[in-house]
Amino acid sequence: MSALILPKDRLTDFLLLLHEYTLWAPVQRDTVTLFEVIKDPKDSPVDLEHQASLAKRSIFPQSEELFSFDQSGILNDASKEGSRENIIFGIRPCDARSFRIMDPVFEGTMPDPYYLNRRQRTVLVGIACREPFANCFCTSLGGSPFSQEGLDLILTELDGRFFVEVLSEKGKEIVEKTASVFTPASAEDGKQREDLAKRSEGAIKRKVDLEGITEKLNGIFEHPVWKQMASKCTACGICTYTCPTCYCFDMQDETTLRKGRRVRNWDSCMFAEYTLHASGHNPRPTRAERLRNRIYHKFKFNVDNFGTFGCVGCGRCISLCPFNVDLIENLSTIKSLA
Amino acid sequence: MNNPYVPETATILDIREEASGQRPIKTFKVALTDGRDFNHQPGQCAMVGILGIGESMISIASSPTKKGYLEFSIMRLGKVTSALHACEAGDTITIRGPYGNGFPVHDWKGKNIITVGGGIGQAPLRPIIQYILDNRNDFGTLDVIYGARTSQDLCFKQEILELEKCDDVKIHLSIDVGEPDWTRFVGFVPTNLMQVKPSPENAIAITCGPVVMIKYVIKNLLALEFSDTQIFTTLENRMKCGIGKCGRCNVGSLYVCKDGPVFAYATLKNLPEY
Repeated sequence: MSALILPKDRLTDFLLLLHEYTLWAPVQRDTVTLFEVIKDPKDSPVDLEHQASLAKRSIFPQSEELFSFDQSGILNDASKEGSRENIIFGIRPCDARSFRIMDPVFEGTMPDPYYLNRRQRTVLVGIACREPFANCFCTSLGGSPFSQEGLDLILTELDGRFFVEVLSEKGKEIVEKTASVFTPASAEDGKQREDLAKRSEGAIKRKVDLEGITEKLNGIFEHPVWKQMASKCTACGICTYTCPTCYCFDMQDETTLRKGRRVRNWDSCMFAEYTLHASGHNPRPTRAERLRNRIYHKFKFNVDNFGTFGCVGCGRCISLCPFNVDLIENLSTIKSLA
Repeated sequence: MNNPYVPETATILDIREEASGQRPIKTFKVALTDGRDFNHQPGQCAMVGILGIGESMISIASSPTKKGYLEFSIMRLGKVTSALHACEAGDTITIRGPYGNGFPVHDWKGKNIITVGGGIGQAPLRPIIQYILDNRNDFGTLDVIYGARTSQDLCFKQEILELEKCDDVKIHLSIDVGEPDWTRFVGFVPTNLMQVKPSPENAIAITCGPVVMIKYVIKNLLALEFSDTQIFTTLENRMKCGIGKCGRCNVGSLYVCKDGPVFAYATLKNLPEY
């Protein structure tokens, strides 16, 4: 399919034309950029400069109602509620890949209707990473700053304009609905995009060789290295909350006098209560076991169960950790163990 | 798409007190409100809950050969189990399931069966015992080794003592510390196992209890020359979803809720963290 050009000053018009969708986009809130639902793109400037977090909450909300009930029983099943189609605008290629990593968890023999319905009704409009961020290491995980995997459309910022590539039927529908904002792309535009892609991939500084890491993990479960790695962790959970492939959740009942609802909330394997038995026994009592489990889950258990690493190399857990727990360093340490 | 998170309702038919004191245990006999059969296997579990309180994964303490009802033997420990203990016959609870793999009872035809239970760990072993008794000709001898901290903590006492009247069932009870009226074995369950000394010949041993007990029972079974594939256990971990998604109940790459709770020692010994 031929590529298109979206002039930068038509970006707001493009987004306005998508009013029938629920529009998620990265917006700056204090010092962080997060994906939020944008009501009016004129009032909420989209931030494509920074590495926005929490794209996953458009499909897997931080807190969502499963069903409601009163004393007579269950009233409604929230998975049956229809909702509008979502567009996630400005999602990074690594985050688009992350849904492919989470999908098999929510599929399987007991499919999860909440996640899967929303996933089906979501269009992913990506933004290629012209400049990698400080801790990006997607190329170590089989990704790249211009990866198109899992995306419906991808935009690449050229000077004063976006180079737009249509990658799926869903993407085609979007550009058909918004045709008035586009002009055709030239061969020169395409060449610029190629050059940027090469330059960006070459600009990724952080790397780790993961060849053999799963096998390595087989033999070091009891190694003292876990305690060392966890010594500066405070179990705040930011690594899991901002991780695009972390999906663990808690289920809680919230009640008022006459009504209630069962909700699920993001949970974190870094929290002690996550695995705490009612008896007081905790199979992962300290941060060492919990950090170990997180690394095993992403680099061994996910491989055992689904054949892929549970990591896309976005580096957010490194950038956002208040105590500089560095996943790349930790993985390199693991690799270097005899 | 079916919604696996929405539970069915069930009615409590009867509540029996199994153990009193600091670690109270009650057995709840329940039936699904729509009268449907639960179609479970011995060793499977269900999410038992109360709307507004929450859910807990509980092993089903009755055999599928007992039609028309399910039983759950529950120790009062946390939020949900405390609320369940406050329930009365006639109250409505919620059920999801059955979950997990269950015991491979069909592979055990013709085998001699030894169950080794500790405390509330007898609950998931009870459906095996019932299943064997209801299909008596399919199995060889049955040895029930069961112990608890005190005689007050022993569950299913009456029905186990009743079993002693059967010629083809041997009962071996124990308590950890002696009591004036106790005439049976005094000591830990793994020690009692060595006294009973079951033969591994054509046998299957299934154990459930506190983690530390399970470890020593398995050690002793191996000493008695039971092989890795003759030893089974059933595990528990904190759970929320029950269907392998919420993440917390993993032992290595396996989830207790979905890949367990029953594990042959041949599988278990290769899992980290066990």
